[in-house]
Amino acid sequence: ATMWTDSVMLAGLTLTAIFVSHTAGVSAPGRPRLTGCRSPEKETFTCWWEPGDDGGLPTTYALYYHLEGSETVYECPDYRTAGKNSCFFSKNNTSLWVNYNISVVATNAMGSSVSEPVDVDVVYIVQPNTPEDVRVLVVDDDPGPYLHVSWEKPLAADTQSGWITLVYQLRVKETSQDTWEEYNAGMQKGYNIFSLLSGREYAVQVRCKPDHGFWSEWTSPAYVQIPDYMLREHSMWIIVAVFAGFLLFVLTWTVNVKRSSVKHCLLPPVPGPKIRGFDPHLLKSGRSEEMFSALVTQHFPPTSSYDDLLVEYLEVYDVEKQELVLGVKNEDPLAPTRTSDNDSGRGSCDSRTLLTERYAEDGDKGGADRQLGQCVAELASPPLEEEKVEAWSTPFSPPPLHLQRQQVGGARAAYHSVLEIPCDSPCAPGSYGHQGESDISKPGGRGASTTLAEPQAQSAEYVEVQTVDHENVLLLRPLADPGGPDVDYAGEDYSKIRDVIPDNVLLLQREPSAWPCAADPGQDRGERSCPTALQELMQPCKPPGPLQQGLRLVANGYVDASAMLC
Amino acid sequence: INRQAVLIQACLLCLLRGSVALPLNCADESSSPVPCTSISQDKLLDRVTQHAEFIYRITEEVCNQYEELYIPYPLRGLKNQGGGTCTSMSFPNLGSKTEIQQISDMRLLHYMLILAQSWVEPLTYLQSSLKNNDHAPDTLVSQLKWVSDKLTRLEQGVVLLISMEEGGAAPPPAALQQALSEPQLGVPDSIFHEYNSLMCLKKDAHKMETLLKLLKCRQTDRLSCTL
Repeated sequence: ATMWTDSVMLAGLTLTAIFVSHTAGVSAPGRPRLTGCRSPEKETFTCWWEPGDDGGLPTTYALYYHLEGSETVYECPDYRTAGKNSCFFSKNNTSLWVNYNISVVATNAMGSSVSEPVDVDVVYIVQPNTPEDVRVLVVDDDPGPYLHVSWEKPLAADTQSGWITLVYQLRVKETSQDTWEEYNAGMQKGYNIFSLLSGREYAVQVRCKPDHGFWSEWTSPAYVQIPDYMLREHSMWIIVAVFAGFLLFVLTWTVNVKRSSVKHCLLPPVPGPKIRGFDPHLLKSGRSEEMFSALVTQHFPPTSSYDDLLVEYLEVYDVEKQELVLGVKNEDPLAPTRTSDNDSGRGSCDSRTLLTERYAEDGDKGGADRQLGQCVAELASPPLEEEKVEAWSTPFSPPPLHLQRQQVGGARAAYHSVLEIPCDSPCAPGSYGHQGESDISKPGGRGASTTLAEPQAQSAEYVEVQTVDHENVLLLRPLADPGGPDVDYAGEDYSKIRDVIPDNVLLLQREPSAWPCAADPGQDRGERSCPTALQELMQPCKPPGPLQQGLRLVANGYVDASAMLC
Repeated sequence: INRQAVLIQACLLCLLRGSVALPLNCADESSSPVPCTSISQDKLLDRVTQHAEFIYRITEEVCNQYEELYIPYPLRGLKNQGGGTCTSMSFPNLGSKTEIQQISDMRLLHYMLILAQSWVEPLTYLQSSLKNNDHAPDTLVSQLKWVSDKLTRLEQGVVLLISMEEGGAAPPPAALQQALSEPQLGVPDSIFHEYNSLMCLKKDAHKMETLLKLLKCRQTDRLSCTL
């Protein structure tokens, strides 16, 4: 009964104690744990443990071991040498090829706890210390410098007696990179590293391992700087490159100097049109006057003497005849009028080619011009519709140069036609003109004399074109009538312009009332009988009135033709 | 990875078997050790040491394989489940460097000879035991066979070395031989029996290798020792 009560009391006390301890926050320590054991030289070894929960009370730890096949338990001989929570086994306490059964006990006021036991055989836990005295040397050599790394064995390891054999390993890395290059050095204590980049900094580390065991830790890195060097191949290439660059420079300079000739050789210039006497540089200068003046040859354009160039005759026709002529011209310019009569020269007007033929035939410089002049007159005579005028004008394009000195635009010849209205009125040439005196005085021009068509009906009278002044006014002079009487043309005869047909054709008008008909002693013409066929034609003629625009009306009705050209 | 390297090395060793076996030709022809003058002592010692190294590597490989196959992780490394030691207590366990350095070369050779001889039978038994268990892979059995062969040659080499030593072919002291009793490896034919057996073999192979290396550095002035 007492036993029973004792045990009950004991249980109760234990429970109370546990309860109290839990409420107070203290308890027996938790189980410690052996983390590992290591032997650096196969002669001693150290074990470390990790304490568990200390239960809120100061806890002590003790390590106990026993050898295999023996029951004797020994406690750790040295807790201090290896640091906290460790046990150091000296040489006397270390036996190889024997298992140690080791456990750690944690004890505090509340109780104790034991770790899991661990079996250790010292020969299998060998991990040497790091190698000693790592040195790195930069050695200059022919292609480039190399590194010579040297080190010593860890202090405690006894390799000399052969008790422990160590193999070494080293690794190299450029300080800016991340990857290491590893080399196995075997049992030797030196190593050469080649093919390193110039100018870079490298870090070297060494470690070792026993023949059966664990690798040691790496030594702290040794830094070394590779000096700048130039590979022989590189310097050779640099020399080659410099030389080539120099050659290239010389070549380029030569080409540059001989630029034009090279260009001429490679890209031969396309021959352009050349006009004799034409200087393209003057074009560039932008002064057209000079340029054109350069074109002016000795004989061109004729400024003073038009005599041999210009038309000698002006053939003036009757309106009807002209109509015929014109009509023929319209239909077939070439065929029917090929046959030409010498006196009129009309045939030449019909075709340009014919004209040139005639020119060739005649061999006379003035011949063709003569013909042209005649054509001019013909063109001028009746008021034509525009097409007809154009039809006439086409064979004459391009216009003869000597007549068209200042042709503005267009292929059409700007003819300055002097309309001669055949007049059968007794209008003596000499008696006209007072009405229409104009200041035709032009520089270099003689007195203009215009001859009107002889009032002799149906007969043509000829005038001689004296000059063409710079304002494109034909200055005519009546030819001396071989058969007729010598007419006194002291005066000047003028024609009054009636109208201007849009193709620069002047319509001259004879004002019956105004024109003094000079009395021709040999002729009897009635003043009033100068109705012009023209007038008849031009039924819807405008009364003489204000002239068309652009014409400067000179006092007596003459037109400054130059204005029309503009 | 380490094991694979060891395996590859073992295969290479198998190929080199002929060259390794060369120096021991003299001893093959007769059971009693005949002094063979065809090979120098240094070379012979080198070859014997190589044998010991190979034996250890292959045994380690076998043990690791066996552990992976049959031994649960918490029990690994724990030898002697069910009691027993590799060697009896009376047999001197040369467990420290100081202890070993006090022993003469001849005595070391004798020690190694006994150790090697003690494993010939257990190895045979181990092989048959593994063969009987159908679960054991063929590689294990073949490797054990290889170890057994190499151990025999090592024994012969040690015998030669003893004969080359001063003192002639004196047999090992009987006391030593008697001290070496049958290791108590637990219940026969059990997994732990096999496992313990292998572990003990590995340990003894390591011991022999270490002793031979010591002997090598003692007897010759080799660069590998002085450096």
